[in-house]
Amino acid sequence: MRGGRRVAIVGVGYSDAGRRTGLSERHHAAQAARAALADAGLESADIDGLTTWGGNPIDFAHMLGFSPLRWHLDVGISPAFISPAIHAAHAVASGQADTVVAMRVILQQPSRANLWAGGTGMAFDAQFQHPFGDLMPAQWAGLLTNRYLHESDATEEDFANFAVTQRGYAARNPEALMREPMTVEDYLAAPYISKPLRLLDCDYPCDSGAAVIFTTEERARDLRQKPVFVEATGLSANHDMTFELLPDMVRTSPVHCLQQLWSNTDLSAADLDCAQLYDGFSVITLQWLEALGVCEPGQAGPFVSSGGTSLTGALPTNTDGGACNVGRRHGANFCIEATRQLRGGQSGERQVADAEVAIWANAVGPFSGAMLLTGS
Amino acid sequence: MTQQADLARPAPPEMVIDALSAPFWAAARERRLELQRCQDCGLFIHLPRPVCRRCGSFRLAFEPVSGRGSVYSYTETRRVFHPFFADRVPYLLASIELAEQADLRILSNLVGIAEPDVQFGMAVEVTFEDLSPDLTIPVFVPAGSLA
Repeated sequence: MRGGRRVAIVGVGYSDAGRRTGLSERHHAAQAARAALADAGLESADIDGLTTWGGNPIDFAHMLGFSPLRWHLDVGISPAFISPAIHAAHAVASGQADTVVAMRVILQQPSRANLWAGGTGMAFDAQFQHPFGDLMPAQWAGLLTNRYLHESDATEEDFANFAVTQRGYAARNPEALMREPMTVEDYLAAPYISKPLRLLDCDYPCDSGAAVIFTTEERARDLRQKPVFVEATGLSANHDMTFELLPDMVRTSPVHCLQQLWSNTDLSAADLDCAQLYDGFSVITLQWLEALGVCEPGQAGPFVSSGGTSLTGALPTNTDGGACNVGRRHGANFCIEATRQLRGGQSGERQVADAEVAIWANAVGPFSGAMLLTGS
Repeated sequence: MTQQADLARPAPPEMVIDALSAPFWAAARERRLELQRCQDCGLFIHLPRPVCRRCGSFRLAFEPVSGRGSVYSYTETRRVFHPFFADRVPYLLASIELAEQADLRILSNLVGIAEPDVQFGMAVEVTFEDLSPDLTIPVFVPAGSLA
């Protein structure tokens, strides 16, 4: 990042994620944070900042013995894990804190009730959605997917190949929740949720906690893991939260987000060794691929079907299997996977050889964020 | 095209109507589509907001619109996400571009047409459907089908 101290990721960790684990937000937060500390070789006393979406950072910090904190941030509805991650990185860069834990804690069970309740503004806006039967994100995703199919060269078979490619990565990831082989026929046999969006275009709801620790380059050099550096970040917000009313459903905020990111680094998309691009719904990853310019506009579907995102393709993408398979970690999985790829040798059978530069990105539509990481 | 509410059905999802949005729903009850418009710069604003994002004016009022538009995107929901909609699945949601202003969109239902017959950009017009004795929503049909 330009300006401020150089920032590194030094620890990553997950809770025991799964379907209806029966564990609380605090439990998932505690497991994830302790795992990240152990990964880094840090003690509780080393942490002086905490941010989370899900749960409360002040509460978590006391529970975990990160006390006193000198920086904390409670992140609400936002572009998934990228938001706490970017804020944590900038807190370290600016000197507001030295070593910050960024978290995403998300429980499967209450998600629908939470979505319906929304925040203050969203509850108001829901009156223009709910009476029409527009109740779940899969439905705006249906609108975005259909418009994308209309404007692009993508076909349903391309979406099938996307899901199959992701499952292929998941088969090589022992932490993935969905690992059994999948075929194009399996995808096409899966029911529509909101046509043309199918069940296997959706991320897999689960209970999970994830934690990533950011600190200064100087401290990172003394820790257990090879540091992975934050080269640049980008954030964008260009509409209110009503995805259904986006004037352009194909070229959404990732375009602007990446303009911000690339303006902060000398690297370019041509330098990427792998990409971890949000896949809450399949069409989101396709939008990011086009926003990155790794294929021509409208060509992300054929790019996927021709193997462009596979381990031997032009840009290995979503190499942990993505949220459809590792479960809904809301992008934290992509930060963790990018970090492991750049450490080298930590991504097992899905390791990208000599990976030096990785991007991970979250969200789509009205808001999004991305972070560029380097291995040296 | 209107349907009478069936009192035996589950209630529609609860919604928060306040002073800002009440004129929209009051107009719908009277089978008019009205949207918020800036009284200084003329921008139509949907969803309703306290301020004009183009000129910063707080002088906003609801005005009738033609109810004509075109289909920007659509999706056919196949799942029951709320009991009220159990007997309507599958149903069509659409983002409609209204004729009054570029990029002016409204989310609604497409009715009177089957999913395979919907075309991107097809002309549609508004009609109204009673969901309950207290709630009428604007929905859209293919242009000319109201005759």
